[in-house]
Amino acid sequence: MSVIAGIGFTAPWLLLGLLVLPALWLLLRAVPPAPIKRLFPAVTLLVGLRDDDSQTDRTPWWLLLLRMLAVAAVIIGLAGPVLNPNARADGTGPVVMVLDASWAGASHWRALERQLDSDLTEAGRAGRPVAILRLTDPAPLVFQAADVWAQQLPGLAPEAWRATADTVEQSLAHLEGVTGGFDTHWYSDGLALEQQDALLDAFEARGHVTVVAPPAPVIGLRPPTFVDGAISLQAVRADTSAAQSLTVLAQGKDPGGTLRTLATATIDLAADEAEGETRLSLPAELRGRLQWFALQGRRSAGAIALSDDSLRRREVALIGSVSGNEGLALLSPLHYLRKALVETTDLLEGNLTDLLPANPDVIVLADVAQLPQSQEAALVEWVENGGLLVRFAGPRLAASDTARNEEHVLMPVRLRAGGRSLGGAMSWGAPKTLAPFAENSPFFGLVIPDEVTVTSQVVAQPDPNLAERVIAELGDGTPLVTRKPLAQGQVVLFHVTANAEWSSLPLSGLFVEMLERLAVSSAAQSPDGAELEGTTWSPVQVLDGFGQIQDGSSLPGVAGPDLVSEPLGAELRPGVYTSNGRSLARNAVGTEDILTAPVWPGSVTLRGFEQSQERILGGLFLAAALVALVIDAVATLAVSGLLRLGGGAAAVWAVALMLSAPEGQAQETDNPPALTSEVSLGHVLTGDPQLDQLAQDGLRGLGDILYFRTSVEPANPAGVDIETDELAFYPLLYWPISPQQPLPSPEAYEKLNTYLQSGGMILFDTRDADLARVGATSDAARHLQRLARPLDIPPLEPVPQDHVLTRAFYLLQDFPGRQRGAPVWVEAAPPDAEQVEGLPFRNLNDGVSPVVIGGNDWAAAWAVDENGRARLPVGRGFAGERQRELAYRFGVNLVMHVLTGNYKSDQVHVPALLDRLGQ
Amino acid sequence: MSLSPAPDSAPVSALRHHAEDEASALPPLLVQAEHLAGSVLLGDHGRRRAGMGDDFWQYRPLQQGDSRRMIDHRRSAKGDQQFVREREWQIAQTVHLWCDLGASMRFSSSDQLPHKIDRARVLALAAAILMIRAGERVGLTGGLLPPRRGNQQILRLTEMFSRTDQADYAPPEHRALIPHARALFISDFLGPFEELQLALTKAADRGVRGVVLQVLDPAEESFPFVGRTRFQSVTGAVEHETLKASALKDRYLERLAERRDLLDRLCRDAGWRMGIHHTGDNAQTGLMWIYHALQRSPV
Repeated sequence: MSVIAGIGFTAPWLLLGLLVLPALWLLLRAVPPAPIKRLFPAVTLLVGLRDDDSQTDRTPWWLLLLRMLAVAAVIIGLAGPVLNPNARADGTGPVVMVLDASWAGASHWRALERQLDSDLTEAGRAGRPVAILRLTDPAPLVFQAADVWAQQLPGLAPEAWRATADTVEQSLAHLEGVTGGFDTHWYSDGLALEQQDALLDAFEARGHVTVVAPPAPVIGLRPPTFVDGAISLQAVRADTSAAQSLTVLAQGKDPGGTLRTLATATIDLAADEAEGETRLSLPAELRGRLQWFALQGRRSAGAIALSDDSLRRREVALIGSVSGNEGLALLSPLHYLRKALVETTDLLEGNLTDLLPANPDVIVLADVAQLPQSQEAALVEWVENGGLLVRFAGPRLAASDTARNEEHVLMPVRLRAGGRSLGGAMSWGAPKTLAPFAENSPFFGLVIPDEVTVTSQVVAQPDPNLAERVIAELGDGTPLVTRKPLAQGQVVLFHVTANAEWSSLPLSGLFVEMLERLAVSSAAQSPDGAELEGTTWSPVQVLDGFGQIQDGSSLPGVAGPDLVSEPLGAELRPGVYTSNGRSLARNAVGTEDILTAPVWPGSVTLRGFEQSQERILGGLFLAAALVALVIDAVATLAVSGLLRLGGGAAAVWAVALMLSAPEGQAQETDNPPALTSEVSLGHVLTGDPQLDQLAQDGLRGLGDILYFRTSVEPANPAGVDIETDELAFYPLLYWPISPQQPLPSPEAYEKLNTYLQSGGMILFDTRDADLARVGATSDAARHLQRLARPLDIPPLEPVPQDHVLTRAFYLLQDFPGRQRGAPVWVEAAPPDAEQVEGLPFRNLNDGVSPVVIGGNDWAAAWAVDENGRARLPVGRGFAGERQRELAYRFGVNLVMHVLTGNYKSDQVHVPALLDRLGQ
Repeated sequence: MSLSPAPDSAPVSALRHHAEDEASALPPLLVQAEHLAGSVLLGDHGRRRAGMGDDFWQYRPLQQGDSRRMIDHRRSAKGDQQFVREREWQIAQTVHLWCDLGASMRFSSSDQLPHKIDRARVLALAAAILMIRAGERVGLTGGLLPPRRGNQQILRLTEMFSRTDQADYAPPEHRALIPHARALFISDFLGPFEELQLALTKAADRGVRGVVLQVLDPAEESFPFVGRTRFQSVTGAVEHETLKASALKDRYLERLAERRDLLDRLCRDAGWRMGIHHTGDNAQTGLMWIYHALQRSPV
């Protein structure tokens, strides 16, 4: 690759093509644009005319320049220009890229990927096969073409652990399997590796080693510890050259359950200081919510410190038998508990009524036999919700009748009266020691000191389920500690006292450990392997290399001692592990870990990440050439007169129209603005297409009549689907009853009721007047009853002679449709309406009747076809036409009634008013 | 004049239908008849003397030699004398049509405009229909379709007009003109001027008067061309290439005006009338002009 002015060319000899440009200039100048052929009969008049000048027979200079630029861009583009080319000495032969691939490199993994990509591109250009070896997760070396690896790059991710002795051994074994020499590119993560020398030797034996050092120094966060009532946060770093200030975010869930930063702390590191510490003092409530600490702006597993029980202090409520006990402190049943728990827990003391609302994690009842009924119920509820109740025996329990005959809900076992004494002055037997803990006991693995003896205890009644409830027993097999689950919680009974009266257990360290195992307390110091002997811990949350929390429930469990002592690896990932209600965190950076930067021997080539990325410019130049050619095409058309301005504008508009996404067309019939600007009659769609069409035609016919005769000029009628359409736009709904129509949904009834209450009117038409007249009922009438049952319809009566419907526009006596004679029902007049002497009509100034029910098949009489001719015959001859006319008049009256209310009813009183006024 | 065979009947009937449409909008055209000694045939033009015809001329007393069938009984019943109802002697005028069917007419500058030939055909046929309805005898120049009257002639004319001429610029046909007849020439008159001059001169020699209608495309009037252009006649026989069409516009318009001026002068000399019609205009205006021009041409 040759470099010209910072731009390298992969095929520089192609640039010689630029020399052709001047020749091209002359050539293009000589050739005028092609003529347009036009048919023109009047050419006879043109024959013999000469052109004035020869200005346009040459291509304009700017068009020439454009073409020159296009050609030059093509030539340069094909020459393969590369901005910021990697000008490094090229080697030959295979390359092994060794990646530390640990959490330490995670924060600059993007840069590493780019670097790898760039190096792979270079190796590909040089035709060198490449193998990638990840020290944290070694796999046999496979030499492949560089571009194959380049495609797999996004799949590479850093692991949350560092290379261990095992993985290095495996890596060396894999290297052994490679025959022949190779060059090595070692992408360090910025931390020294114990086995670095061994690896370097192996690499240098095969070829040249280049070490690529990361750009940023590594910083890690040690696990938080609880010291003197505050959380101690420690950061360590590998590069101590400058002072640094780090922000630590304490993250956890807020009461709403969302993850947020609960507190922040700053760790200041002076120059030459590899470690820094800060203390974070948080209320117990906040501390209980903490999930992890993170270094702000660092994206690696090492910058996350997961918290576990060591920060979480349990709240333990201690309740003694009788408050105000005058006994000596050392004899107090709570004294030893207090001493055992005060370091690691938050102790609450008081009476049960006060403490239960505080919802402690553990309640300890020391020698409490009976609780008041209400307290007992509250306590049972608390236990069932996940509380841990620990009870200790004592003289009072032994003397009481609690759990004597039947099992008490807050006692794991039934007790014999009295208990027993062992090895006292008056007994033969020696004090009993503890038997080794059974394997299924939570205490399994604890070492029992010899000096622990039991002299007195309460004794469990043998019950069928006694054996499974015993978690610790004496040497002779009598239960010492029993436990029973109670819903989500559990009840534990120590069959001895909490003080040293009955046994020496409270005096021993075993007592504390047993409380820890019961999750009564959590250890202040992280436990060592011995303490965890016999436990199995299952991962709950694990970290990946970037420090992202992932679900660990699919991973296998880890033995307790391994969890503490084994180095992190694929089998033991950093994360939070739980066992028996306790949780323990294992972090990428340990409590004692120190980060050290690697020191490389002089024999290796050391380089950093490249600052500027290689950019291949060929595509850019070719695209520019393409654009220039497009401009040239348009310009050529313009020059030769083929491109009209108008046409161009039209084309631009066409493109713009194509680009603008077509809006969904509004439905014309359902367009509310159109409906609101005009009166529109509606008919309810019944699902019977013939009937719906008839109703549509009928309303159109009625609309025509209204248009001709009145000032109501309705728009085209609309079919209304009561399930989906908005009803408010229609003053009148015509509802022909079809027995097949399904009942509307409750929502539709809701809408209909709203519609009726807000002044709408529904004209129900059963279309069965000839049947209903003889007193029988019909399918449609029965269906109408079913349909209308949920509707909010007032009492009805047949239209009275003085109803406003009889005179809203025309004076009518009956209301025929295609049928005649059936009564029409409207809202009943108010009971207090009275006929006034001398007036023809009662004073019925009520609202518009919300429903009109009849069976005269009005729509059939109204219906007209497209040409305005009646669709269906009515009656016979002139009488039939008269009947149709009356049907129309009914329709007009109805619409008038809907639109004007009882205006006409008022008008009839005018003569009487005038009379009274003496006019 | 080489004529291609008539196309199938569908376009023919379409053309006739179109022409009937145009003709139906005007009252029957009365061509002023000249009293001609020779070709005297019955027509609808009153000769201001009694003779055969449809229009009432006078009642005269029955004379000897009149057959009894000639008695007008309605008039005679008013008195004792018997009258004969005489009618005006009417003769028909002869009109010769020539419509340019050459290739140069098959041109339109845009899709919205009709071809010049279409417009010319419609105008010619519409005029023919008007005249035949008025009782004139209409035919083509040349011996191909002698003047006749009656609806059948319309069909024949339609058929003749439906043909096309392969030549680029068809010369006017001036043979077989009946003396003292009338003539209607429709063309774009872009062809050789001498032929037209010859035709009009010969027609004038025979006492034929008439009307010349120049049908042009709007593009031929406005010359809206720019850039390097090669202009071709419709058959491609005549070509002219220019590097800057816009520069030619003024000189082209000059030449067009000159040609029109020549044509006008020639017409005036021969006693003809000349009109211009553009395909962008309504055909009705063209027909109206023909109607008025034929009516007003000197007696």
